[in-house]
Amino acid sequence: MDSNLIIVDKAPYGYEDTFSAFYVSIACLNKGMHSDVLLVGDGVYAAIKDQKPGGSVDYPNVGELSYLIFPEGSIFVHSESMKERGIIEEDMVEAAQIIDDNELYDIIHSKTKETAFIRI
Amino acid sequence: MIPDKKKTLTIILTEGPYRSQYVEMAHNITESALDNGYGVNLFLYMDATHIPKKNQNPHSFPNVGQRLKSLINKGAKIRACIRCATARGHACDKNSYLKGVSITSVYDIPGWIRESDKVITLSG
Repeated sequence: MDSNLIIVDKAPYGYEDTFSAFYVSIACLNKGMHSDVLLVGDGVYAAIKDQKPGGSVDYPNVGELSYLIFPEGSIFVHSESMKERGIIEEDMVEAAQIIDDNELYDIIHSKTKETAFIRI
Repeated sequence: MIPDKKKTLTIILTEGPYRSQYVEMAHNITESALDNGYGVNLFLYMDATHIPKKNQNPHSFPNVGQRLKSLINKGAKIRACIRCATARGHACDKNSYLKGVSITSVYDIPGWIRESDKVITLSG
């Protein structure tokens, strides 16, 4: 398989999963494998700009990590999930590519059997 | 007749033992794939890095360490994320893990994806 789509549906900081998913994407890109990230459901919170993690949590800023993926890889953000959570385009990092259901279908449809779908 | 090239399955597991059934599912899939002639790579990520710990002694559940040992003996390749294993205290002691488990990094994942015919993730 020669590429992957990392699917994230959990919010950052509440779980380790979001930035661990970003790390996988970054590792793949650094090793020359194409990788995109799809943020859906609570995963859309990962692309909000000006995040300030700190205090006892002190996780890496996942909004900033998105720039280690973009522009080699895309950060797709599901617009319906944003809408459900009251998040607007202006709230997002510039790396975010906001997509509706039809665009999501086209992206999934364009992937071949050589693409690994990895949900973390 | 030229034999078919051996197919490879990679499993990325993020869940720890006993709290959920994901580990058992990963082990069952691994065993079944091995029995059907697949090569199997199992990457242990986040809480899954608890799985290869030696000397587990569950009283109410099957011992996931012993099951993992039998899968290693059958040919499964097992790697654990060093960042996750270190955070959980498993990477500091050479004897913490079962023999046959390598502590590596997420940078091994793209290589395993490349050599795989199928990749699945088991994540809660």
